Amino acid sequence: MAGELASPAASRRPTGGGSSRRIAALRLLRRRLIQAVPLMLGVVVINFCLIQMAPGSFLELMTAENQVSDPATIELLRKTYGLDDPVWLQLVKYIWALVQFDFGFSYRQNRPVIDAISDHLPATLLLMVSSITLALAVGVAAGVVASMKVRTFWDSLVSVAAMFFFAAPGFWLGIMLIVLFSVKLGWLPVGGMMTIGGVGGGATGAGGVLDVLHHLILPTLALGLFYAAIYTRVMRSSMLEVAQLDFVRTARAKGLSRNQVTIGHVLRNALLPVVTILGVQMGTVLAGSVVIESVFSWPGVGSLLFDSVSSRNYPVVLGIMVLGSLVVIAANIAVDLVYMWLDPRIEIR
Amino acid sequence: MRRFEFLGRFSRNRGALVGAVLILVVALMALLAPLFFPVDPLRIVGQPELWPGEDPDFPLGTDSLGRDMLSMIVHGARATLLIGLFASAVATLIGVSVGATAGYFGGWIDEIAMRAAELFQTIPNLIFVLTIVVILGSTLTNIVIAIGIVSWTPIARMTRAEFLSLRDREFVQACRAMGMGDLRIIVGEILPNALPPVIVLSSLVVAGAILFESAVSFLGLGDPNVASWGRLVGDGRLLIRSSWYICAIPGVAIMITVLCLNLIGDGLNDALNPKLRDR
Repeated sequence: MAGELASPAASRRPTGGGSSRRIAALRLLRRRLIQAVPLMLGVVVINFCLIQMAPGSFLELMTAENQVSDPATIELLRKTYGLDDPVWLQLVKYIWALVQFDFGFSYRQNRPVIDAISDHLPATLLLMVSSITLALAVGVAAGVVASMKVRTFWDSLVSVAAMFFFAAPGFWLGIMLIVLFSVKLGWLPVGGMMTIGGVGGGATGAGGVLDVLHHLILPTLALGLFYAAIYTRVMRSSMLEVAQLDFVRTARAKGLSRNQVTIGHVLRNALLPVVTILGVQMGTVLAGSVVIESVFSWPGVGSLLFDSVSSRNYPVVLGIMVLGSLVVIAANIAVDLVYMWLDPRIEIR
Repeated sequence: MRRFEFLGRFSRNRGALVGAVLILVVALMALLAPLFFPVDPLRIVGQPELWPGEDPDFPLGTDSLGRDMLSMIVHGARATLLIGLFASAVATLIGVSVGATAGYFGGWIDEIAMRAAELFQTIPNLIFVLTIVVILGSTLTNIVIAIGIVSWTPIARMTRAEFLSLRDREFVQACRAMGMGDLRIIVGEILPNALPPVIVLSSLVVAGAILFESAVSFLGLGDPNVASWGRLVGDGRLLIRSSWYICAIPGVAIMITVLCLNLIGDGLNDALNPKLRDR
């Protein structure tokens, strides 16, 4: 009875049993991990070559800043940083170090690159996760509303709002939000991640968490609304498309109400394109957060990137690129697994 | 005849029509900027921080140094549009070359090209642009190339898909049977048929490129000799408590331009792919 006309992603559909799905998921995971290796290698090679093109090494800057002019010292430093090796050897050494999770040494902070980055990464990840959550929640809700009230005032309103946020540059939107909510209304903080010397006395305790959340609102809106606009548009057209499929008519004929069909059958299937786009855009979200961080003095990877870029601290720049790409790949694998969970038809391609 | 049909379909989409007209206005503004505002826009001409409407000589006010906002916006349109167009051209050139080669030849060439596309989608795009610009220098050319390098992947995928569906059609087989070379078939026979959806995508890449450039300039890494809109927003950033209009106005200009380009893209899409019209 269910056969061809059943909803492909209906939640309570008996599939081949839990264990075979788990095996399929594990197989997908393994495949993706294997594919990630050459991808990472490519990322490292491209960025390494790019940084080799920089005029002047960081050593020159470093020695000039510290007023080191003794040739013997400079020679020693060249040796220490392996700058006398041919480029390919430096690359091989770098990759070998990366395999052991050694991202090199940042002379400026006088500590390993990985430590410098991991100080800043959580703030960026927090901003990314909250923005994506906002974008998905708003985008899916608005898309569903627009598709259920297609060609009405609500549909137009959603479309106009989506066009607006799709065109507004995030950094500008951020500044305008600051003008409105911080300068004029005084409701929300201008920037930073927590109040200096404020309640909670640091990041611990409920007060601290609330304080961070309070600071998180505006950056999340500035970064997330752009993606919310994209998801709204995709969700709307995807809902309309799925609603025309045969299984929806079957579900209606079974006597389910319109809302039941929309939520239980159409919504779940219509989510697939949104999930696809989410995966593709993970790198963009990360990059976008760098700009938003600069608007809100958010202490994430963005601020570290600017310091490092302007001081030619290339090991850190390279480290951010490599680690950033790693985050993107990991997020993509997660998205693939979600995709598989949403649509049981998809086995391994 | 077909061209008129196309124009008719395009202009039936009211949003697209408005977008096209507004973009034309912006483009004219950019072209005729030296005519309306012959004075260097970066020269100080009045009192600093005059609000829009405060002085009829400066309808959009003046910035923190007393430079005419309207003149800077009009001149900024040149930089912004040119960077957008050229960056999109670079992206289209790379994307079409890679996509056409991959789709036409298939096999391991296809495999390598698609892995490369995946690679460029993995690297966080704006961070990559910033690094390129910092390393190679903040010049217009470098910015254009950097944006092109991070924007070509969707165009390559689209071109490849078109080529995959076209490469075994009869007219292509006929060309092969006539002994035509691969390059001639790709460029002269398949490409013209594959172009319509690619053009739609390119118009959207222009919008994306403008957003990229504005972010780069906003962060202070743009070409120091060019007053693009993004840089104006960045310049006004420290004055948001007293004169937030200095930030707001160039941002609105960016938004309207990008919005219009998106509307045009939608309109082109509707006109070129009538099947998708009701989406």
